[in-house]
Amino acid sequence: MSFRFLLRAGVTGGALALLVGGVSAMAGEYSLTVDPVQIDTGKFTRQGIGYNGASPGPVLKFKEGEDVVIRVKNNLSEQTSIHWHGLILPYDQDGVPGISYAGIAPGEIFTYRFPIVQNGTYWFHSHSRFQEPDGAFGAIVIEPKKREPFRYDREYVVQLTDAHPHAGSRIMRNLKMSADYYNRKRQTIFDFFSEAREKGLSAAFDNRMMWGDMRMMPNDIEDMQGFTPLINGWSSIQNWTGQFKPGERIRLRFINSSAMTYFDIRIPGLEMTVVQADGNNVQPVAVGEFRIAVAETYDVIVQPTEDRAYAVFAESMGRTAGVRGTLAPRDGMAAEIPELRKDPRLTMADMGMDHGNMSGMDHSNMSGMAQGKVSGMDHSKMSGMAQGNMPGMDHSKMSGMAQGNMPGMDHSRMAGAAKKADSFYAAGSGLLPSAANGKKFLSYGDLKAQKPLYVEREATREIELRLTGNMERYIWSINGVKYKDAEPLRLQYGERVRFKFVNETMMTHPMHLHGMWSILDNGNGKWNPVKHTISVAPGTTVYTETEVDAPGQWAFHCHLSYHADSGMFRKVVVEGGPNAAAASPATGG
Amino acid sequence: MTSKFIAKAIYSITLSAIIGATSSAALADPGHGKATRIGAPGKVSEAARTIEITMHDNYYEPENISVKEGETVRFIIKNAGEFVHEFNIATADMHKAHGPEMMMMVEQGVLLADKIDRDAAKKMQASMGHGMHDDPNSVLLEPGKSGEMIWRFPERADLEFACNVPGHYESGMVGQVKLSR
Repeated sequence: MSFRFLLRAGVTGGALALLVGGVSAMAGEYSLTVDPVQIDTGKFTRQGIGYNGASPGPVLKFKEGEDVVIRVKNNLSEQTSIHWHGLILPYDQDGVPGISYAGIAPGEIFTYRFPIVQNGTYWFHSHSRFQEPDGAFGAIVIEPKKREPFRYDREYVVQLTDAHPHAGSRIMRNLKMSADYYNRKRQTIFDFFSEAREKGLSAAFDNRMMWGDMRMMPNDIEDMQGFTPLINGWSSIQNWTGQFKPGERIRLRFINSSAMTYFDIRIPGLEMTVVQADGNNVQPVAVGEFRIAVAETYDVIVQPTEDRAYAVFAESMGRTAGVRGTLAPRDGMAAEIPELRKDPRLTMADMGMDHGNMSGMDHSNMSGMAQGKVSGMDHSKMSGMAQGNMPGMDHSKMSGMAQGNMPGMDHSRMAGAAKKADSFYAAGSGLLPSAANGKKFLSYGDLKAQKPLYVEREATREIELRLTGNMERYIWSINGVKYKDAEPLRLQYGERVRFKFVNETMMTHPMHLHGMWSILDNGNGKWNPVKHTISVAPGTTVYTETEVDAPGQWAFHCHLSYHADSGMFRKVVVEGGPNAAAASPATGG
Repeated sequence: MTSKFIAKAIYSITLSAIIGATSSAALADPGHGKATRIGAPGKVSEAARTIEITMHDNYYEPENISVKEGETVRFIIKNAGEFVHEFNIATADMHKAHGPEMMMMVEQGVLLADKIDRDAAKKMQASMGHGMHDDPNSVLLEPGKSGEMIWRFPERADLEFACNVPGHYESGMVGQVKLSR
C-alpha cells in the first residue's frame, strides 16, 4: 500500500469538483494546487509533480456555457503553468509561458478566467519544462448543453501515460547524448543472419548499410523505452478497474497524456463504437481496435453483456510495453493481460524513400470514392465468396452467442485478412496497424464530423510545414529550423489557412495547434473532422485547414515532449480581428 | 430456416423498399412462426391509435413505447435529423443480423450518411438477382422525410425498435417495445 495510493483514495473520496470552500458549483469556481508528489507505478517509485496532491490530477468537470474561475497555486520551487489542452479560450488564458503569459512563479497564485464554449473530453497539463512527463496532467470532462447523439449508462475517464523512472530533464540529456539511448531493441548480428536467410546475404547487407547511413534503426519507433504505461495512474499490476452491470452501455473517455508513447487500444471480447475524437462528436463507427496519438482523445461506447471481467488493454505502438485495466461487474476481478504482439519494423517507405510519390498523395481526391476504401471490408475477398456470405460481418457482436447465428459464414477468410491500404501511412509502412481480433482498425479516414463546426469553403492560402529532424543530434525542427531560430508564423484573422504537413523524418509526430481547430482533410468533404491534434506518420503528407478565428498568439508544436523541447515548435501570431490586442502577455491573475 | 437466409432476405427487401418496389406484403421470412413472433403488418381499419415517432441524430423520441398484446398500431415516423435513419421493429437478434446488411449498403454506396442513392440501390439489386419483397417491419427515411407503418403486435415477444444504420444501434438508437395485457 503506497503513499500515493492513500493520497489517491483521499482525493477520489473528496468528490469530483474541487469546490472552493462553501462556493456552489454553479459559480464555476475551482482550485488546483501544483504539488511535488511521490509516483508509485508498482514497478518503481519516484518524485514527480501532481495536482491537488496526486498524479494524475483530479477530473475537472465543467458545463458548456459556464464561466470558470480556476485558482492555481504553485507549491513547487520552480515556475509552472497549466495549459487547457483543446479548449477554445482567450489567448492570455492558454497557459503557455512566454506566449500567453509569464507563467506562475513558485508560491504564486494565478487565477484563470474563461468561458466554456464547447463540450466533450479534454485534458490539462503543465507547459513548463518537463513537468508534464513528470506527472503534471489531469482530465477535463465538459457536460454538453444539448442532448448528445448517443446514450450511455455510466462513464469512465481512461487517461494513459508512459511513466518513466527517469525525470524528464535527465531523459532529454540522455537523448541529446545518444539518440538511441533508450532503444533496447538494437539489432544484433543474429538479426542480421536471420534477415540474410530471408532476403539473401547481399540484400540484408545493403539494407544494413542503408540504415547505417541514416544512423537509424528499423526498430526505432519509440525514442523512449523502459517506461511503465499507466491507466489513470495505475499500472497493470495495480489494475485500474471500472465497474459495470451486464447490459449497460459504458462511455470510455480515452486520453493519451503520454510524453512520447502512441497506444493501440482494444478490449478483447467487446466491440468499441467510436463517438468522439478530440472532444468533437463523430458519426459513430464500430471498431475492434484504434490507435491514439499522444495528446489525442477518443470516446467510445461499449456494451459488455456477460458477467465477467474484460481487459482494457493499451499496447504501445512499438510493442515495448502495455497496460491492462479491467471492466468488471465486481471489484477485485482482473482480466487476463494479453501478450505483447511482435514489434513492427520500419520499412523503406517509412524512411521516406518514396517521398516523391507520397507527398503528392492528396486525400481530398478521395472524396468522390466509395467509402469501401477505408472500411473494414476487403473487396478482394468478395469475388470468390458465395452470395450468402457476409463480408464485413461483425463477429464481435456474436461473442457469447451461439455460432448458429450465421451459418455459411466462412471465418477462415476473415481472419488475418490482408492489411487494407490506409492513406495515412506510407504505402508499405511497417507501422500500419491491424486489429488483434481481425476486425476493423480505426483509420483517420473513418472520422466524420457528426455536426460540422465550420462551413466548407476554399482555403485562402496554403502553408507548407516540413517536419524535419536530425536524429543523430536529436534536433527536431520545422522546415529545417529550430524554434529558437525561427520567425513566428503570421496568420490573418478571418482567413482559412490550409496546412500541408510533410513528414520527412522517420518518427510519427502528433502536431498540436493551440487556440484554433484543425480541420483534418481526410476526404470526407463537409464532414471532415475537427481536431486539436493531428498525427503525421513517416513518409506521408497530411493536409489540415484552420479557420483563423482567434486573435492573439499561440503555440504550435509536436506534442512529443522531447521533440517539442528540442525545436519542433512554433509561435503563431494571429493579426487583426476584434479587439486586436497588441499581443502583450498578461501577468498574474 | 437459416438465419443466413433471413439476413439475405431482409437485405433484399430493404433494397426493394428503397427502390420503391411493392408487392404482396409477405414478411421477409418465408419460414413459419416468425411473423407471429414479431407481429405482422396490420390494416388501417384495425389501428385504434397512432404513435408518432420522431427520429433525431441519433435517438428516438419517445425513447420507448408501450403497446397491448395483439394491438394494431399506426406509426407515423418523421426523420427530424440530418442523417438517414431507420425505424425497424424486430428482435435484438434480427437487428444484429440486419446490421451487416446495412453496412454492405454503405459500402456499395447505396446508403450515404444523409441520403439514399437509388441508382446504386438498383445496381445492387440487379447484381443480387433476387426477388423483390416489401419490407413491412422497417421504414428507412432520408432527413426531413416521413413515413408510416401499421403493425399488429403479437401476444408475447421481446421486441426493440431500432436504427440499423451502421453505428447508430451501437451508440444507443434503440428503444424497447413494452408489451402489456
